[in-house]
Amino acid sequence: MKNSEILINLINDNLNEINDIIDCLYITPNSCAKNKLLNRLRKNISNITTLVQGLEDSDSTNILQPDTTRIFTEAELSTYNGRNGNPAYVAVNGVVYDITNNAAWGGATHFGLSAGTDVTNQFASCHAGQPVLNKLKVVGKMVE
Amino acid sequence: MNEKISICPNFYTRLETTSLLVHKVIDSVKQNKIKKRNLIWFELTGCSGNIISLLDGANPDFKSLATQMVNFIYDNSLMAAEGEDAMEKLFSVIDDDYILAVEGAVSTKNNGLYNIIGRWRGQPVTAYDAIKKFGEKAAYVIAVGTCASDGGISAARPNPAQCVGIQSLLNKKVIKLPGCPCHPDWFMGTLAYIMLFGEPELDSRQRPIMLYSTLIHDICPRRKYFDSGIFASKLGEKTCMFKIGCRGPVTRVDCPVRKWNEGVNWPIEDDSPCIGCAMFGFPDKMEPFISYDTT
Repeated sequence: MKNSEILINLINDNLNEINDIIDCLYITPNSCAKNKLLNRLRKNISNITTLVQGLEDSDSTNILQPDTTRIFTEAELSTYNGRNGNPAYVAVNGVVYDITNNAAWGGATHFGLSAGTDVTNQFASCHAGQPVLNKLKVVGKMVE
Repeated sequence: MNEKISICPNFYTRLETTSLLVHKVIDSVKQNKIKKRNLIWFELTGCSGNIISLLDGANPDFKSLATQMVNFIYDNSLMAAEGEDAMEKLFSVIDDDYILAVEGAVSTKNNGLYNIIGRWRGQPVTAYDAIKKFGEKAAYVIAVGTCASDGGISAARPNPAQCVGIQSLLNKKVIKLPGCPCHPDWFMGTLAYIMLFGEPELDSRQRPIMLYSTLIHDICPRRKYFDSGIFASKLGEKTCMFKIGCRGPVTRVDCPVRKWNEGVNWPIEDDSPCIGCAMFGFPDKMEPFISYDTT
């Protein structure tokens, strides 16, 4: 099981507990018991906050360990052009990156380039040696 | 933005930089600490929008520039002389000290015959000849606006006159002030800096760092909408216009602070996305300016 799946399961456990506690709160007349339940709620919320942070960290770890299990053909890549509700992907050196929310790709275009294409050569001519790709989410790799 | 200005001293400093520099030059000229420099302004292949923009300069205004900072030797739109008299005046300073400001690209097709700026001693003078002659001998060359800096609209596809930015024709450094048009503060501040201290610190694209160091995106008053993922889907919505093609995240200049028409407004505050007019490759590489069919 992936780390992210474990974290999501733990978040769901906490959410279930929260729902149970809320049910108890409705029927408990005792103020002391209510305070205990409220404290448990706070603890659950704290757990969820920590787990969400863990998920975000897990995302950034995925950047360092690209998920290259998904294979894109040129035709498939071209559908991820940032139009008609589709996300925006580009390929560089055989790796496919998600640039949907990358600020430099306004309107899914960048200095005359369009999403859904292989921009290896253009990248090399402009950003060689710059840590631009490290900040992007990897979504797969191109078919060899 | 006003709220930002009120809490960030960096914004005050930026706004006052040009004014401080220009007033310092004027004072220094009055006190004979420095001499007025000769200024030549070429309008080559372009729309003359930069000289019009310069006339909009304020605090101090263009009149102060022309009468108290420099000897305005030549500009075909503003000088009183015309025809050969104007060209005589131009050529009278070629062996003297002068600063050359150029707006517009240079047409190179057919040895520059697509743009003849005047006749001197009976011979036509092309923009191509003029930039070669006056560019190499100038103390400083300033490319004013996007066309002079990188070709700009004049060099946009299909570029029938084969226009280029002036740097590609000169073997000396050109200080670039891209922007369509160039803000009067950008030019006057740079000129004043040169007169006081010499060449300003430039970035790798030869733009003065004091004016071109910041991405519009980084100081955009709508940045909070980008960070929150709230995007405009069409023009007129007062949120982040990144999804419809805003070029603020790739455009380096200080429009959000300085604004236009004496600080009245700027495109994004008027619900128009930045179209990257101050970036190399404009306009071809900044298109499409608006895209509605997005995620």
